[in-house]
Amino acid sequence: MYSNNYTLGFVFIVTIILGTMLSFTKENVKDLQDKNLKADVQKTILRSLNFDENLLLTNESIEQTFKNYIDAKCVDVQGQIVECNIEEVDIEKNKDVLPVYMRVSNEKIEGIALPIAGKGLWSTIFGYIALNPDTESVLGIQFYKHGETPGLGGEVEKKWFTDNFVNHPQKQSNGELKYIPKKIRDKNGKIVSITVIKGGVDYSDSNNASIHQVDGISGATVTADGVTDFLLEDLLRYEKTLNKIRDYGTI
Amino acid sequence: MELFSTESKKIINDPINVNNPISLQVLGICSALAVTIRLDQAIIMTLAVLFVLTSSNVILSLIRNYIPARVRIVIMLSVIASLVSVVDELLKAYLYDMSKQLSVFVGLIITNCIIMGRAEAFALKNEPSKAFLDGVGNSMGYGLIIIIVSFFRELFGAGTITLPDGGAGYVLWSIPDSWYAAGYENIGLLVLSPGAFIILGLVIWFQREVAGVEEDA
Repeated sequence: MYSNNYTLGFVFIVTIILGTMLSFTKENVKDLQDKNLKADVQKTILRSLNFDENLLLTNESIEQTFKNYIDAKCVDVQGQIVECNIEEVDIEKNKDVLPVYMRVSNEKIEGIALPIAGKGLWSTIFGYIALNPDTESVLGIQFYKHGETPGLGGEVEKKWFTDNFVNHPQKQSNGELKYIPKKIRDKNGKIVSITVIKGGVDYSDSNNASIHQVDGISGATVTADGVTDFLLEDLLRYEKTLNKIRDYGTI
Repeated sequence: MELFSTESKKIINDPINVNNPISLQVLGICSALAVTIRLDQAIIMTLAVLFVLTSSNVILSLIRNYIPARVRIVIMLSVIASLVSVVDELLKAYLYDMSKQLSVFVGLIITNCIIMGRAEAFALKNEPSKAFLDGVGNSMGYGLIIIIVSFFRELFGAGTITLPDGGAGYVLWSIPDSWYAAGYENIGLLVLSPGAFIILGLVIWFQREVAGVEEDA
């Protein structure tokens, strides 16, 4: 039987050694981890803007592609350009400085990626939604950081879910598939966003809203409702900016 | 102790074959079901468990005579948790895509019963060299099963065989499009957890049959 002092001393020493080992490891790999994180965010933006996967294979090619094709700016709620350090904007909390990432080729905007973030069930979900220059149809949506349950809410990052936001294949009477694009604006140009429906979307002719709806995830209704809420909220914040791009082709 | 003596061979072979931690003792099932969707995930997970289990076994065996019995569980847990955190940090730095796919399941190695079980049942009672072999044997026994399960799940569930590389995985072979055109279909069930249960059940059946295990009635 060991004395209390021995036991305390032993635990103390073990704690110090293990703690040192951990902080030593973390200190050594922190730079690499930060680089990976940064590249991951850029990859998400590029993916949402529908870049070829072959350009996104390594951290270097991601950085290069991002530099070559992306014009990043910050705007405010009124749609005016404001000065910012775009990498350090807190997209969850800062509601006044809004980052916009534009895919530009020959000085023409080919897509607009906007950060989206909000609460799911357990965690804040982070992602990007990219719109076509008509600022109406969706080019892509990607989620890159969340703490939702794998297999349930975690499915938001999966391709089958994100693909739903772009279009819906519908069989025509002649048997051919027609892809009906999803839209974030209604007929009058008002931003209505896209709603994640519990269960499946009703694609019959009687449901006019089906272009603003996508299928939900079984067992993840709270996560899906969260996505619906913050998507609308974030898109509305960009309304003036999006109107400007639609009307003038630039911000 | 001789490294290649009969005894050390038995320490390594037993957990791979007759006393397998997954198929015989049915430990570590949570991660065995979760990370077996793709072969490359299972291989990286095996390596992570190999590192954690052998290091924790050796470290705990080295200090086994100094650990006060009253706090031994706490000490075991702190050693295992620290090792797992190190693996997690290293994966995030060097295999970022893989660490994203394995997500919480790397961290959950801490609660993998195999590791605590081996520490309590073996490492605290045996010398470091034996504890090392026991760690290798048990992680191989674990790895063997999850690699077999993931091989079948990926092949019949997703139609590919993926090996680990620096990034998102190297596809070694995938079912040719002509098969799909001829009417072949992937079994979607295998990608889901129930598919893992079914494959694991079959593997356990097969393994017990081969090892000649009889369950006490």
